[in-house]
Amino acid sequence: MKFGLGVNVNETTTEVVEKCVEAERLGIDYVWVSDVPVQLYAPAVVAAIAENTRKIRIGLGLISAYLHTPRHIAQSLVTLVETYGERFELCIGPGDRDLLRRVGVSLKHPEGVQHYFKDVKHQIKTMLKEKGIDCRLWLGAQGPKMLEAAANFDGVWLNYAHPDHVKWALETVKMHCKRSLQFGVYAPSYVYSDFDSEIGRLLEINSAVVALGASDAVLRRLNLYDLVKEGKHRLREGATMKSVINCVPSKATELFSISRPSDKLKGYLAQLSATGVQHVVFSYPQNYSLKTVRELALALKRQH
Amino acid sequence: MQLVLGLTSGMQLRQIHDLVNIAGKMNIRKVWVGDDITGAHEIFTLVSTIMLKHKNIVAGIGVTSPLIRNITTIARASATLAQIGGDNHFRLGLGIGGLQDLRKLGMTARNPACALRSASTLLREIWKSEKVTFEADDFKLNHYRSSVNVDRPISIFFGVRGPRLLNLAGEIADGIVLSGPTTYLRKAITLVRSSIERSRRSVEDFTFVIWVPTMLVRQRSDLGLVKKIVAYVLSDTPKSVLEMAQLDLGKVEMVKKAGERHGIAYAARLVDKALLHESAVQGDATQVCESLKGFERMGVQEVVFGPPYGSKPRVALTEVANAWRDYA
Repeated sequence: MKFGLGVNVNETTTEVVEKCVEAERLGIDYVWVSDVPVQLYAPAVVAAIAENTRKIRIGLGLISAYLHTPRHIAQSLVTLVETYGERFELCIGPGDRDLLRRVGVSLKHPEGVQHYFKDVKHQIKTMLKEKGIDCRLWLGAQGPKMLEAAANFDGVWLNYAHPDHVKWALETVKMHCKRSLQFGVYAPSYVYSDFDSEIGRLLEINSAVVALGASDAVLRRLNLYDLVKEGKHRLREGATMKSVINCVPSKATELFSISRPSDKLKGYLAQLSATGVQHVVFSYPQNYSLKTVRELALALKRQH
Repeated sequence: MQLVLGLTSGMQLRQIHDLVNIAGKMNIRKVWVGDDITGAHEIFTLVSTIMLKHKNIVAGIGVTSPLIRNITTIARASATLAQIGGDNHFRLGLGIGGLQDLRKLGMTARNPACALRSASTLLREIWKSEKVTFEADDFKLNHYRSSVNVDRPISIFFGVRGPRLLNLAGEIADGIVLSGPTTYLRKAITLVRSSIERSRRSVEDFTFVIWVPTMLVRQRSDLGLVKKIVAYVLSDTPKSVLEMAQLDLGKVEMVKKAGERHGIAYAARLVDKALLHESAVQGDATQVCESLKGFERMGVQEVVFGPPYGSKPRVALTEVANAWRDYA
């Protein structure tokens, strides 16, 4: 299994770089830089990380293919690869629904999401190929339609963490794809040796954000739809994320996040591995501080 | 007045870093990078690599269009570059985009003045982390608030040409990147200065930048490249600018039509001495510097060298930078 750290949430570029340098030093396989419409611009953050590290692999994504054009995404990758070498991977996806609505981006595409993402992938791959760049292209997927679309990609990132649901998702993808794909879990995480309740609260909030951004199909499958719909409705009416977080049941934390003391991580990872998952990215709030990055690295070393 | 380096996102990466490197050694500390929309590189990513690799350089985007990216992306990309640049303040240039570039993307600018006014206002609100709701002029934000910390000011420059937009620049921008024939530039600066004064702002706080095609010409054959650039630029120049420039409109129309029908190489043959003299800065290093220095009398603070630079760009940059130093 390969392990990564998710970065670029509530940090400055200096802080991101500092944590990524530490992640490289501690032997974490890669860092993934998400592009969220209210956070730092991920391609520039990726450049800053690459400038300050030597070999750690860097993932750009998830980056929304509704917010950014395929041309801009491919052009960013070209600039990064030509400047820093072939150290990059790319993950595209729809992105957070609520935030996309706030920035005026529509998620409705008449040709359907499967065709839309197939076309975006083709455009990006073609532009990269013209420059002689071969970069692994992932799709961030959740619901049945996106999992079907994932069949066209090199790999799929799932943002739920419970092994039962991961297993269902992998089986769904395999129904539509006969070739071998890479499977990964990219979830809000808190792996700790000493539990810090403040970080625990951040994990709950981040898991709730993922739940509120989940499609209705996914929420129904997870039996969360009725519990989350009030929060989703209030978000659509313009309420702030902070004010609706409490509408989300604590069950969301269990389904959408990795929350474990470090000595219990091994068992969980074994369960994921048994489903066919080969990659795990521990995202916010695991990148909360240098201490939480070190705690993760130590737990992963024990796992090996 | 400062000599600064001009680059575009369509250039080869190796050449970009090579020229910035030479510029740094020659004491040229500022760089403007134009957004070649269909070029190889994404402008914000490219400028971040320039700032990261050349620590003492003040980099600016000159210019990009708010119509081709979500306005929030421009806001947070600029904020990210401002963080990366630190004390070397990042500068953002906004323009509607070249007529030909927008056409290639299947886009048109419905109301450029409204779009640029709204874009500038929204960017400044987003940088202050205000909650923004807005819907007009191609922008739609709904209770949006950025979490990106902007602790250094980001100057907004306009890259515009027509009289309405020049007025708007004087009213709301921090500076302007001007391009076009010399006669036009003189009139444009006067217009912007009047607008600044009418808006009760200080001309001293406003930065005028001139970016016209510049090229070190060593032999007659070098002129071919300058003429091609001039033909391309004239084809992309709005009528209002050509009228302000008092150019022979019939001649310019011939160049435009030749370009459309037979390509730029053919159109370049129709660029005569008068058009060339008005639309580009060219000659040996001393002549280039003399021409550029001429803009100082118009109240310009920065003049941009390049592209096309010369048949050997690194040599051309070195020679012009040396001549500039001697001239100063």
